[in-house]
Amino acid sequence: MKNFVKVAFTCCAMTRAFAYAAEPPAPPSTTSTPASAAEFEALRQQVQSLTTLVQTLQQQMKDQQAATEKNNSTAPTLPQNPEPETAATTSSSPAPATTTTAPLFPTTDSAVVASAPSVNANGTATGAFPTTDASVTTTSATSDTGSPLTQPIPITGGGNKNYMNISFDGLFALAASTDRNLDRIQVGDHDPQQRGFNARNAEIAIDGAVDPYFEGFANIVLKLDNNNQTQIELEEAFLQTTSLPYGLQIKAGQFFDAFGRINPTHPHTWEFADSPLVNGRLLGPDGLRGVGAQIAWTVPVPWYSQVIFAVKNGRGGTAYSFRNPGDAGVFYGRMTDDREMRGLRDFLYVPRWENSFNLSETQTVLIGASGAFGSNETGAHTHTQIYGGDFLYKWKSARAEGGFPFVKWQTEAMYRRFEAGRGLDDTFPISETFHDWGAYSQVLWGFKKGWVAGLRGDYLHMTESLFTDDFARQSRSRISANLTWYPTEFSKIRLQYNHDFLEENAFLAGRDVDSLFVQFEFILGAHGAHKF
Amino acid sequence: MKTKLLLVLGAIFAALILPAHAKLKVVATLPDFASLARDIGGDNVEVSAMAKPTEDPHFVDARPSFVVQLRSADVLIDGGAELELGWLPPLLQNARNPKIEVGKPGRVQASQGVRLMNVPANVTRAAGDVHALGNPHFMTDPIIAKTVALHIAQSFSALDAPNAATYDANYKKFEAAINAKLQEWGTAMLPFKGQSVVAYHDSWVYFAHRFGLNIDIFLEPKPGIPPSPSHLAEVIEKMKAQKIKAIIVEPFHDRKIAEKVASSTGAKVVDFAQYPGALPSTDSYVKLIDALVSRLSAAMK
Repeated sequence: MKNFVKVAFTCCAMTRAFAYAAEPPAPPSTTSTPASAAEFEALRQQVQSLTTLVQTLQQQMKDQQAATEKNNSTAPTLPQNPEPETAATTSSSPAPATTTTAPLFPTTDSAVVASAPSVNANGTATGAFPTTDASVTTTSATSDTGSPLTQPIPITGGGNKNYMNISFDGLFALAASTDRNLDRIQVGDHDPQQRGFNARNAEIAIDGAVDPYFEGFANIVLKLDNNNQTQIELEEAFLQTTSLPYGLQIKAGQFFDAFGRINPTHPHTWEFADSPLVNGRLLGPDGLRGVGAQIAWTVPVPWYSQVIFAVKNGRGGTAYSFRNPGDAGVFYGRMTDDREMRGLRDFLYVPRWENSFNLSETQTVLIGASGAFGSNETGAHTHTQIYGGDFLYKWKSARAEGGFPFVKWQTEAMYRRFEAGRGLDDTFPISETFHDWGAYSQVLWGFKKGWVAGLRGDYLHMTESLFTDDFARQSRSRISANLTWYPTEFSKIRLQYNHDFLEENAFLAGRDVDSLFVQFEFILGAHGAHKF
Repeated sequence: MKTKLLLVLGAIFAALILPAHAKLKVVATLPDFASLARDIGGDNVEVSAMAKPTEDPHFVDARPSFVVQLRSADVLIDGGAELELGWLPPLLQNARNPKIEVGKPGRVQASQGVRLMNVPANVTRAAGDVHALGNPHFMTDPIIAKTVALHIAQSFSALDAPNAATYDANYKKFEAAINAKLQEWGTAMLPFKGQSVVAYHDSWVYFAHRFGLNIDIFLEPKPGIPPSPSHLAEVIEKMKAQKIKAIIVEPFHDRKIAEKVASSTGAKVVDFAQYPGALPSTDSYVKLIDALVSRLSAAMK
């Protein structure tokens, strides 16, 4: 098939070349009768000089193209301009014809378009359509001297001449709260953890094409604890296939699990200064992430439908509800057994199915269902199952400037069944099963370019344990409101107010807690675009 | 019996993998490329555009439905000059369609062979939303549109060889139409050669270059930065000094700001658009330029 196309193209190119070759006799025949031999000779010389000029210009063009291609990392090697003969015929023969019938207003401009662009990778079809002929390059170039045009651009997209995008993102917060133990009230590891200033998320993000088959991503997070000691996290580092057939994609390495909407994203993209209660308490303060592999498949149906399935080690603090030994070897009051993997049952399995529809030209809905299944460390044969559902509605004006105005409503709900065993060597008096659930719902209104107002409600229900009181197992609710100003997409300043309903909860606070955060962020460098 | 069954199965299989000659599925990031693709492809192609003609092309939502469009596309036409940088890459990552990878005949990067203007010598975000490769709003120059149309024709011919002659002819038709129209447009704009026009955003440098206008005063103090009162005062000053008669705004800009400036300078606000379909009865590229030329020349009289 490919060969057939190639042949067809070469034929096409050749017939065109012949057609042009057949043309030249026309001008001489008309000029031969009235014009003298000297005039004819002069004309011939003019044409010749034009031809050489065109050829040198083309050579320059070629050299420039070669140079840009050499520098351009993402550019695949593109075919060079047409073979010399074709170029010569196309450029020289129609020259006299067009120069004589020069239009009043120029219809070509070699200053803005290159002489002979080559577009397809087959390398055969170039020259099939002659571009705006090179003769005009010479004539119109004179009228365009001093134009503000600069060099031709690199042939393919990507102004970066590096092999990767590198960016640095700094996220800081100034916090005030009626409660002294902000680190107990806030559930996320990147949330403000103390009164005063917090630097909980400074990340270096790197991404780029590895080769024609893979893309690579890395996110290295630096954060300062409450004593200003630096902690480093390899938050994400994974590679992802780019060219598998049938809409398949494989990802492997350390990465966030595709559970719901917020979990797979980095804190600087969050619409609130802190993590929702349900995310922090069921998936974990650091989110659900770990080492493993994932396969994703876009289902061939008329709407957007994607199935994702990940297998992870599911061990440690970033697999909070799973094989997590907990702080100092204790989790939910049980002494944990930080054991090695026993087999397939100790892996963490994370499936997800998401679907999206457009309600209209300006309204989009995305609905997803996620699960996370594995064993936990509170007993010899204890398991955890988490189920989640998420819903996103977005309206964006058809006359949006900079993405504004918009309205975005996002809701996530999760249920966790946690089998809490008797701990290491049956040291805990009983085993129990927790049925924990929670949800948040948030509305964001981008009412003016750069300005977003947000409102969020949080609810968390935790089964009361018969034997232990744990600040991480408290039922509670919260309401938050915020206002964010994005001077550009590379910076933001956010004011957020949280009201935690904790009056009934003597263990956490014993009274309602009010907190105020001023969050500020900056991004340097080339940061990859975010998903919907 | 067995061989018969095999034959039938084989026939079904063949029917499945060799569908009857289908239309080329073309996806364009922006409506201007889509218009050109329709002109070149005619009835042999099925064209859809991602961005709406009335929205800011820098910030289009990467809606999941675009993934569905891209997944089954035979051809993708994008600007190639980083205008769509904020939304196209994650879509392509998700679409996983090797036919539209850069370098394949199914990928047309419109900026190929176009010399971009205003390439910054130093790239710094202190200057606002600058494009490292140069100003990406190049389709407002009809001569450049011809080159883009040529790229599109080459791509269609490479993928659909039996109809190559049609694409060639359609390109010729488009080229001739633009060449003829350029005479009209050039004549209409000739009286205003060398005059200045104010724009909301710096997206008209190619249009200005083509028709000999100066469009280098903007309501935005820096690209992408909203107008500030002090900057607008400066603009008003300059407009009065240079007797500027027109302020061009696009559908997604804040028209009220332009109106305020217009009322204090006596200039007219001219509704402009880069994309076919954004202004009434501009369903094709040629009609759009027609509308722009007639609107601007009327305002500048």
